[in-house]
Amino acid sequence: MTASAVLPQAIEPPVSLWADAWRRLARNKLAMVGLALIAVLLFVAVFGPWLTPYDFLSQNIDARNLAPSLAHPLGTDDLGRDVLSRVIYGARTATLVAIVVTVIAMVIGIVLGALAGYFGGWLDAAVMWLTDVTMSIPNLLLVVVINTSLKPRLANWMEAQYLETLNPIYRNSIWIDFILVFGSMALITWPPYARLVRAQVLSIRNRPYVTAARALGLPTWTILTRYIVPNAVGPLIVAVSAGLGTAMVLESAFSFLGVGVNPPMPSWGNMISDGLRVWQHYPHLLAAPAIVLGLATVAFSFLGDGLNDALNPRGTK
Amino acid sequence: MLRYVIRRLVLWVPTVLLVLLGVYALAFYGAGDPIKLIFLRAPGDVAYNPARIEAIREAAGLNQPFLVQFGNYVLNLVQGNFGNSLVSGRSVWRMISAAAPVSAQLGLLAILLTAVVAIPLGVLAALKQNTALDYAILGSALFLWAIPAYVAGPLLMVLLIVLLPDITVPYGWGGLFDVRIILPLLVLAFQPIALIIRQTRAAVIEVMTEDYVRTARAKGVPELAVALRHILRPVLTPVVTQLGLIMITIVNGAIFVELVFGLPGLGRLTVSALLNNDYPVILAITLIGSFLVMASNLLVDVVYPLLDPRATDARATK
Repeated sequence: MTASAVLPQAIEPPVSLWADAWRRLARNKLAMVGLALIAVLLFVAVFGPWLTPYDFLSQNIDARNLAPSLAHPLGTDDLGRDVLSRVIYGARTATLVAIVVTVIAMVIGIVLGALAGYFGGWLDAAVMWLTDVTMSIPNLLLVVVINTSLKPRLANWMEAQYLETLNPIYRNSIWIDFILVFGSMALITWPPYARLVRAQVLSIRNRPYVTAARALGLPTWTILTRYIVPNAVGPLIVAVSAGLGTAMVLESAFSFLGVGVNPPMPSWGNMISDGLRVWQHYPHLLAAPAIVLGLATVAFSFLGDGLNDALNPRGTK
Repeated sequence: MLRYVIRRLVLWVPTVLLVLLGVYALAFYGAGDPIKLIFLRAPGDVAYNPARIEAIREAAGLNQPFLVQFGNYVLNLVQGNFGNSLVSGRSVWRMISAAAPVSAQLGLLAILLTAVVAIPLGVLAALKQNTALDYAILGSALFLWAIPAYVAGPLLMVLLIVLLPDITVPYGWGGLFDVRIILPLLVLAFQPIALIIRQTRAAVIEVMTEDYVRTARAKGVPELAVALRHILRPVLTPVVTQLGLIMITIVNGAIFVELVFGLPGLGRLTVSALLNNDYPVILAITLIGSFLVMASNLLVDVVYPLLDPRATDARATK
C-alpha cells in the first residue's frame, strides 16, 4: 500500500462510511433479494389503486370462491371479491401500519432514550425499568389487554364527539381501529429504540464537543437536539429495518386474531384467518395472503441482517 | 453469590407488581363495570333492577376505591384465586389449570427440540464459517425467524395434505405421543431454533479467536475435543441468556399454533376470552405469560454467574 500509494494513479478516492457500507450490502445476495422485494412491496402499496384489477370491496355473487384464472389471477373469496385486489390493498394497510408505528415508536424511544442517557440518575433508572417491564409482558397479550379495555371506551368517546359535533369523521370505525392499532403497537415496540439511543448518548455526552457546547453556556435543549441526538441515531437504521418487519408481522397477527384492522378493510392477517376456515375446499384463499405476508417479513429480515453486517463490519470478513 | 440472588429477587418483586398494576388498571378503567358486563350478557330481572345491582356490587366489594380493589386482587392472586369468568361464571383458576398442561407440555417439548437441533447446527455453521453450508444454515435460520406461526402453520398443513392426501388432518390434541403433535411442535419451535442457531454461531466464532483455543490446537488436541471442551462450554452462556426471549416467542407462538391446530391450551383460551371480552381470563393469562418471561429472566440472572464465574464480581458489586 505505501509503495504504490506514492504513484498518483494508485491513490484510491476516500471511501465514505456510507459508500463502504453500501458496497458491503450490495455484495450480500440475501439482503439484495430482500431490498428488491421491499421495493416491489412499496411500489404496490403506493400505486395500489391503479394496479388493482377490481375494486377490493366489490362483491360478485356469481363469482364466489373461484379458483385462480386469467380474469382473477388469485381467484375470488366467499363474497366474490377479487383476491389479488385485496392482497394489494392489504399491502397498503401493512405498509401504512408498519411505517406509522415505527415512526411513533422511534420518536418515543429517541425522546426517552436521550433524556435517560443525558440526565442519568433516577430518570435513567426509571426509563430502563420501564423498558424492562414492557419487554417482560408478552407483546401480543399486552395488545390484547389494551384492545379489550380501551376499544369500547374509545368507541363511546367517538360516538359522543359525533353527537356533539355531527362531524362524520367520528362515525368512521376504521379510525378507531387505526388509532388503537397504531397506539398499542407503538406502546410495545419502543423499548429497543430507547435502549439503543441511551447507549449512544452515554458514549457521546462526554465527548469534547459536547463539553465545549456546555462550556459555551448553550441551553440543555439545544445541546440535546443539535449535538447529541443527531449523532446518536445512526445505529437506529438496523433497528428500523427490523422494526418495520416486526410492525408488519404484529399488524397481521392482530388482524388474524380479530383485534387489529377489521373488515371490510383488507389486511393479510384477517384474510389468512378467513382462509383458515375454508382451506380444505379453497386452499388458494389461505395460500395467497400467507405467501405474500411470508415474503414481506422474510424480505425485511434479510435486509435487516444485511444492514447489520454492512454497518457493523466487526463480526464479518 | 447469595447476596446477589437475594438482591435480584428483591428487585424482581416491584417489577412484577408494576406489571400487575398496569394490567389491572387497564382492565379496571377500560373494560367498565364487571357487574354490568355480566348482566348485560344475560338480561333478566336483575338487569332492570338497579337496587339489586347495587347490592351485588356492594357484596362483591366493587364500590371500593381502585387501590383497595387492586390490593384485594393481589391478595387473592397470592392465594391462587383469579376470580370468575364473566362468560361461563367458572373459576378462572380452574379454566387455566385445565388448559395449562397442554401448553406447558408443548412449550417444554419445543424448548427441548430447540436445544437439540439448534445448538449443534449453530456450532456446525460456525466451524464451517463462510462456506455454502454456513450460508445455508444461516439463511434458513433467518427465514424461519421471519415466518410468523400463523403463516407457517397453515401453509405446512396445506402442503402436508397435498403431499399425503390420505392422511387425517392434524387437528386436535392427543397427548405427547400422538402423531398430531409433530406439526404444531415444529411450528412452535421454528423461531426459537432460528434464534439459538444465530446466537450459537456468533458465540462460537467469537470464542474461536480466543488464545486458549489456539493453544489447545497448537498442543495437538483433536478438533472434536477442542470443539466440545474448549469452545462449547463458554458458548452455552450467551445461549442460556436467550431463555427470556425464547419464552416470549413460545407464549406468543402458542396463541397461533393452538388456534391453527385446534389444541385446547392457554393460547386458545386467550383467543376465545378475547373474542368474548372476558377480561378476568385475559388478565390472568397476561399475568401468567409475563410471570413466565420475568421468571425466565430471573433464572438467567441467577444461573449466569454459575456458568461464567467472571460475571460474579462485576454483577454482585453493581
